[in-house]
Amino acid sequence: MTDEYGNIWAYTLKWAYTLLVVVTLMTPVFYVMYISFNENGFGAAEYVFTFDWYRVILEDKLLLAALKDTGILTIITTIIVVPFGLLAAKFYKRTRYKVLTVSLLLSPLFVPSDILGSALLVFFKNLSKTFEALSDWLGNEWFYGWFDLGYMTAIIGLVIYTLPYVFVVILITMGRYREQQTEAARACGAGAWQAFWHVEFPQIRAGIFSSGAFAIILSFNEYTRTSLLKGGYDTFTTVLISQFLNEGMSAQSYAMSSAVSFFAIAVIGSVIIYTLFRSEKLDRLARDKAQPVMSS
Amino acid sequence: MNASETPAVEVQGLSKSYGSVRALNGVEVSIGAGEYFVLLGPSGGGKTTLLRTIGGFVKPSAGKVLLHGYDVSALPPDKRPTTMVFQSYALFPHMSVARNVGYGLRIKKLASKEIRERVDAMLELVGLAGYGERMPHELSGGQQQRVQLARSLVLDRDILLLDEPLAALDANLRKDMCLELKRLQETVGITFVHVTHNQEEAMTVADRIAIIADGKLVEAGTARDIYEHPVKRFTADFVGENNILDGTLAAADGSKATIDLGFGRVDVPIDDDVATEGAPASFSIRSELLKLFPAEGKLPNGTQALNGTYDEAVYLGLTISHMVSLPNGAAIIVRNIADAAEHQKFERAQPVRIVWTMTSAHLHTS
Repeated sequence: MTDEYGNIWAYTLKWAYTLLVVVTLMTPVFYVMYISFNENGFGAAEYVFTFDWYRVILEDKLLLAALKDTGILTIITTIIVVPFGLLAAKFYKRTRYKVLTVSLLLSPLFVPSDILGSALLVFFKNLSKTFEALSDWLGNEWFYGWFDLGYMTAIIGLVIYTLPYVFVVILITMGRYREQQTEAARACGAGAWQAFWHVEFPQIRAGIFSSGAFAIILSFNEYTRTSLLKGGYDTFTTVLISQFLNEGMSAQSYAMSSAVSFFAIAVIGSVIIYTLFRSEKLDRLARDKAQPVMSS
Repeated sequence: MNASETPAVEVQGLSKSYGSVRALNGVEVSIGAGEYFVLLGPSGGGKTTLLRTIGGFVKPSAGKVLLHGYDVSALPPDKRPTTMVFQSYALFPHMSVARNVGYGLRIKKLASKEIRERVDAMLELVGLAGYGERMPHELSGGQQQRVQLARSLVLDRDILLLDEPLAALDANLRKDMCLELKRLQETVGITFVHVTHNQEEAMTVADRIAIIADGKLVEAGTARDIYEHPVKRFTADFVGENNILDGTLAAADGSKATIDLGFGRVDVPIDDDVATEGAPASFSIRSELLKLFPAEGKLPNGTQALNGTYDEAVYLGLTISHMVSLPNGAAIIVRNIADAAEHQKFERAQPVRIVWTMTSAHLHTS
């Protein structure tokens, strides 16, 4: 406890409450993981540890195809949304109209996922018809099918969904960066891109990678918008939900749910562990070099 | 500055507006090659905006910036023959001292060996030999400022812009760094354009000083001219400790002007007819050029006096400041060396006379 005049009981209660919230959030996840390794499934009297259910899902061709499509969507969304989020954050830092900028960029968060998905569905259908009309007017088929439901429409929906999160994470990281360093790099002869790459990026890199990890997890787990905009293929979560609806919670479903959780924990955990190790390494280097600093 | 030489920096009719706020208003400045030029003025006066416009970090709303005779107004900072030192050091925290200093040379794609040699030479020049592998956060404020200087000077550009480079340092360190900057500038021989609001700093380093306030160039001249012979009322008010009294011009005969202060009249030397009679005018005199005498008694020849009431003395170590009130309520400061032999003690509320020689005072009509 850093506050020597603080109340020890209030301090203990605060941390106990925090722990309770974390346990409440994570217990269902860990329980599902526990069930997923039980040969006899949920509610069985006997627990027999097995990897069988994971073997089943890995042999499920429909599921593997869905996983592949999910991976493609996730990767393309992340590649698009992270630079968008970075540009948005840099624009926010420079513009005088900060409230308007933030309102516009965070507005997707305030629209329920099913309404946003439905609105985009209608939008794409109308856009498709407009482009087809344009093609007919031009006397060719160049613009046919551009906005038919498929990868592109799903990716646009995912980018709209993940952009606010990516923007906020990068903006928070950029809060510690001083623009004068970019000016100093320009004064040394660096062009705008060189100043960003050599000076700014190394200092906000952690935030950019974190926002990328965030975008990956959000895209992988997203169901409502994707199911409305994806067209004729499946994603991992749409297969998972379909199985829930059609067959109930099978042992295979537990394994699928746990696989998604493992993936998310692996991504976040990697970022945290890397950050901790790097921080410890930098502290160790600083301690090794520490000398009394003389004013001169 | 030789009239036939092309100025290193020339600013013509420079204006900059941010919406309805006019940060710079028709500024015209000329800085010679190899000169140590200081932009001095109050905070918010436009001196940093002017410096950043010269450096290419701010685009002017009107006017031109010429460097060595070439119009660079449309060029970004990396394309100008200038480099800059910032108030907050702006070192790259993820690079060592050597990599910070060598950054511009790496951008130029020089050979590694040449970069290493030039960095080592520059660190030696700024007194940081052997500090190449340190990281910026391991350095003191003064050391970080030296690294910034090294990073700028290693580029061999001939115009260095300094934006309040000593503002973040403590008073003693600032004095040392002032002399260090002056020495460096004399050693490398390039043009320094230095922004500060600190008069002592300006007077220590400058060949010439320009007073910038409210987005305008108020006055420019050598440190001695600015301090001893201020032309504008603002300059007299800002530089040094001047007592300024406002009145109206009662008479002017070409060598002397008489100012009516309301409670008395004073004569001020002038070179020319400066204004019409009845026009507003101010009279200024430095506090160290005033002397205090009792209300009765003979005064030295060739002096002028105003009557006042003694308030108090403030001991400041080297000097003592005597506060005196005039009949119109204005306060006058008379400053003397503390251990001078001719001090006379005065009592609070004692009538006194403030005495000066006419040539010590200045007339200001603007």
